[in-house]
Amino acid sequence: MADLRPLTALGADTARSARFGALTLTERPDIALASLALRAGAAEPAPFGLTLPGPGGLSGSQDHAAFWTGAGQWMVLAEGRAETDFAAELRAVAPGCSVTEQTDGWAGVDITAPGADPLERLTERLVNLPPEALAPGRATRTVLHHMPVLALRHSDTRLTLFAMRSAAASLWHALETSAQRQAVS
Amino acid sequence: MTRIPGGLIDRSQTLTFSFNGKRYTGHPGDTLASALLANGVHLMGRSFKYHRPRGPVSAGSEDPNALVTLRSGARAEPNTRATVAELYDGLTARSQNHVGPLGFDAMAVNDLLSPVFAAGFYYKTFMWPRAFWEKLYEPMIRRAAGLGALSGEADPDSYDRGYLHCDLLVIGAGAAGLSAALTAARAGAQVVLADEDFRLGGRLLAESDPLDGGPASDWVAEVEAELRALPNVRILTRTTVFGTYDHGIFGAVERVADHLPVPGTSVRQTLWRITAKRSVLAAGATERHIPFASNDRPGIMMAGALRAYANRWATLPVAGPQDRIAVFTNNDDGHRTALDLLAKGANLLGVIDPRADAPRFGDYQLFAGAQVTGTHGRLGLSSIEITRDGRADWLECHALGVSGGWNPNVHLASHHRGRPVWNEELQAFVPGEGGPQGLIPAGACAGRGSTSAALGDGARAAQAALSELGISAALPRLPEAEDRPLRQTAFWHVPGKARAWVDFQNDVTVKDIALAHKENMRPVEHLKRWTTLGMATDQGKTANVTALAVMAELTGKAIPETGTTIFRPPYTGVSLSVLGGGDTGKDFRPTRLTPTHHWAEAQGAAFVEVGPWLRAQYFPRPGETHWRESVDREAKAVRSAVGLCDVTTLGKIDVQGRDAGEFLNRVYSNMMGTLKVGRVRYGLMLREDGHLYDDGTCARMAEDHYVVTTTTGNAGLVYRNMEFARQCLWPELDVQIISTTDAWAQIAVAGPRSRELLSRIVDGFDLSNEAFPFMACASLSVCGGLRARLFRISFSGELAYEVAVPARYGHALMQRLMAQGADLGVTPYGTEALGVLRIEKGHAAGAELNGQTTAAMIGLGMMVSGKKDSIGAVMSRREGLAEDSRRLVGLQPVDPEAKVVPGSHLFADGTAQDMAHDQGWITSACFSPHVGSSIGLGFLEDGAARMGEVILAANPLEGSCAALRVVPPHFVDPEGERLRG
Amino acid sequence: MLIPHPLLGLRDAQEFTYLGDAALLDRPSPEGEGAEAAFCDYVFLRGNPAGVHRELWFHEQGDRSWLVVTRNTLTHEILGAELASKVAKALKGAAE
Repeated sequence: MADLRPLTALGADTARSARFGALTLTERPDIALASLALRAGAAEPAPFGLTLPGPGGLSGSQDHAAFWTGAGQWMVLAEGRAETDFAAELRAVAPGCSVTEQTDGWAGVDITAPGADPLERLTERLVNLPPEALAPGRATRTVLHHMPVLALRHSDTRLTLFAMRSAAASLWHALETSAQRQAVS
Repeated sequence: MTRIPGGLIDRSQTLTFSFNGKRYTGHPGDTLASALLANGVHLMGRSFKYHRPRGPVSAGSEDPNALVTLRSGARAEPNTRATVAELYDGLTARSQNHVGPLGFDAMAVNDLLSPVFAAGFYYKTFMWPRAFWEKLYEPMIRRAAGLGALSGEADPDSYDRGYLHCDLLVIGAGAAGLSAALTAARAGAQVVLADEDFRLGGRLLAESDPLDGGPASDWVAEVEAELRALPNVRILTRTTVFGTYDHGIFGAVERVADHLPVPGTSVRQTLWRITAKRSVLAAGATERHIPFASNDRPGIMMAGALRAYANRWATLPVAGPQDRIAVFTNNDDGHRTALDLLAKGANLLGVIDPRADAPRFGDYQLFAGAQVTGTHGRLGLSSIEITRDGRADWLECHALGVSGGWNPNVHLASHHRGRPVWNEELQAFVPGEGGPQGLIPAGACAGRGSTSAALGDGARAAQAALSELGISAALPRLPEAEDRPLRQTAFWHVPGKARAWVDFQNDVTVKDIALAHKENMRPVEHLKRWTTLGMATDQGKTANVTALAVMAELTGKAIPETGTTIFRPPYTGVSLSVLGGGDTGKDFRPTRLTPTHHWAEAQGAAFVEVGPWLRAQYFPRPGETHWRESVDREAKAVRSAVGLCDVTTLGKIDVQGRDAGEFLNRVYSNMMGTLKVGRVRYGLMLREDGHLYDDGTCARMAEDHYVVTTTTGNAGLVYRNMEFARQCLWPELDVQIISTTDAWAQIAVAGPRSRELLSRIVDGFDLSNEAFPFMACASLSVCGGLRARLFRISFSGELAYEVAVPARYGHALMQRLMAQGADLGVTPYGTEALGVLRIEKGHAAGAELNGQTTAAMIGLGMMVSGKKDSIGAVMSRREGLAEDSRRLVGLQPVDPEAKVVPGSHLFADGTAQDMAHDQGWITSACFSPHVGSSIGLGFLEDGAARMGEVILAANPLEGSCAALRVVPPHFVDPEGERLRG
Repeated sequence: MLIPHPLLGLRDAQEFTYLGDAALLDRPSPEGEGAEAAFCDYVFLRGNPAGVHRELWFHEQGDRSWLVVTRNTLTHEILGAELASKVAKALKGAAE
């Protein structure tokens, strides 16, 4: 492997994490991402055993997840695989598809809480989505503080937000500010 | 002191506050107005035009008079209604719009000049002479205008925004709103209940009428407790729903910390955008007054307000219990005030009712068939004149409650072109058809204002709204409540010669309306502008309908024929700070940082904003005292050794699919389908109108895979247009696109020693000119196994490459290149040097690609292929564009010391410098360390044929004019030998 | 406004970029005598009726689909929304 040392999107050697009341924010530089788009006439693949979900959907297994990003398009992710050439791996199991490396296109932050309530109180300050669009098992691309973001609701208690990597500091600032306000209110 | 027993104030705690520097006390539950009244302070401000002494006329957000400046310093908040300012310990307030003390306003001289200040005064007076408009009239009017003054300091507080989605939004938490919320909440619907007050209950809190035989506040407390315990209900107090927007979207402001001395860690206010599938408008009603002679003195207020102050706030607007209070009403509701005042032990003078058959409801003196025809009292009411059957009597009186009936609060129902309709029986406007989608008015705002009617109406409205959503809701058992008729009558004002105020805040009187009528300003829109009626901060909530009635009387038309008043958002004033939702300063928009940002910061780089990006502008070194020294050094290093520049900000779009080549043929003006794998081509993108809008490179990584670059500023636009082409123009093509701008850190390695430097980091990759020539590209690995992409492209005109690695390694790659290139003279360069290098080379950038130029103009006309269709191709050939002879040229000053100024316009020597003789303009300029003087690029008519000619560049803004020599736009290596070497 | 996205349901107009008249889907043929005149109309003349209008919206902050939204410009009532790619394919099918 290369003899260069990577930095996280927030510019450090290790992932940032912080707790505000019931909410915990954790940077996720370990998540590998690759986009998958069906070419004309291609059969829908089932990479890594994943069923590619329909509009607004998120499906996952132990190590991988896929969510819908547009007609015939998905993002596939693998936790702990950011240092590998994940796109190449996906390409191998998605014949007839266009695959593009996206790992470093995004800065991911996990937001976790002991229950759904603190998470939802936070997201209502950040994104203008009907609750069903961010229900557990749903994922969507939307806008947060003028930034395009990918929002993945894995479960009642965990949400992952991805912003453009270059906007990582702005994303963290927005989340931290809102979480802090919620912690004191 | 006029505190009376009872009320909904917490007497166990005392709050201290100050008004105009004097200290007073009040209790939690008080508003500033109620606390001042309880302290015997009735005079709270001055009117806008005549500087008349004024006190509150209402107990709610409609108040036109009791406007004060709350707080001090940077937090000073002018024009705040004392009637809704929640009292807190340490509150400070000042009155406004007076010169000298509030009691002796020097500007009150305006009142004596009132004949001069009649309707249309400004339009009539400040017409001539014209020369006075800007220099004299405007500054004078501006000085006199406005009530309170802004602090001029930055707002120290933070603001937030949020989004709520619900099945049912209930606006207002009075009788109708609470029963609506209760009905929907029990049905399990997602409910948001919003009220502008700090306490739920609305008008129920102001009335003495029992619910189920007990105090109404007990029922309110029960309902509140039930609602708060339900997870599907969100209660927002201190929250004004200020506007309705399309498709069930509402704007609301929650005053999170306005009731605290300082917000502390909290936000001051939150802007809510509420998306509701259905809504119930339970906004209540606003009492209207009756204009009569001198009806604006402190102590004269709405009868319902008098009742509210007595019942909810335990105070009377008089100096002591011995002071006499009267009620002037044209409807039965005013009599309730008399009864409540009696019950509170007030000294009631009686009820004056112009109806000859006026009923009497209790043990008080009734002046039936009588009118109030005058008042006395300098800074507060001392006596009133009662006229009955032609006989006038002056009676001592210190407070007067006036009721002209109630106007339903139709505002939010009319924000969406919903026209209020006149209800003859009610003598009032009620919400009409065509209002906001899914909004059902209920209770007093729908003209059903008795407590019993409102309770039932709210519940039925919620039930009906939910049934449309497929949610069945049972009507709750509602408490027994009063159900008296209002019996509103069409008695709109007391006739007379003296001034009778209609709009208190803007000092519009019945006479002004008569004058507007005489001057033919009769349509309500003209009336409003001619008299300024309803144009003050209260937006005429207590004035508009009455004014309409007065005008109707003058024209002899019915009120609905005269007009309606249409309301627009906001319902009450909204601060600009909260509308911004906290997006101020650095939070105005997100900032994008390059992968080498932290490294550049550590080098002491200066940064520049390029759209949302922060890019390194230049890297000053110790001893450099002027930015030009750094920039010249960086540019020279690229020309003589090797430079490094982070170019990650350029847009990158991954284009794949079987038809990727054909697709790119159509979005670029030149051929991309014929590009060989492993090669890069420069490309132009046109708009469909034939003008250039972006340029960049297109690299073919594989047969079915291209990587397109765009300019930094147009990355989003190019992507959008490519999606348009893919989905809307040629959906039959097999092509997939996705942005990869942020995924790759891209560093330009430019200069004669760039190959040597790169050879030290690539993993066994042949960089020789033969193996990897100019415009080659490849996937490879660097630094011992890191996947990378290499492009041999040059913006500077030197031998140059751009190397891309996964963004997380950008920082480390930059460090590695700097370390490896130390002996080669490696130098980081910023956007300034980048600009110098490209101007020296004659490469077009944003200043040249400004949306008004063509490929031919930048000398690349042959890049618009005639062999194929592409976006903009047909229109680029139209006569007007094809015949445009302006061409990009280089410009060099005749006097080497002279400066080339971008934006200057070009003229032939000896011609007039005007539009008719304009021959072009300068787009870009810089000091060129390579040439040794200032140089520029510009578009010049017939430019290609005018090499060597001397022209003039005029800069009228600075009054300068320079002689420039026209030269080819390549100041460096015109043959391109360096970049191919 | 809320745009009824055919795949994602109601989404706030804040997520969308507006382009205008859906006639832009019908790009003229670049061939033949009348091409320039046809492009002139295509580029510069757009319908903007007071009433029902078919218009293009881009779900820029969403799934990046272009939609054809049928909207009454007087009342803002939205009568329907379709994927522009489907409309464009149908248009091309009809032309062939």
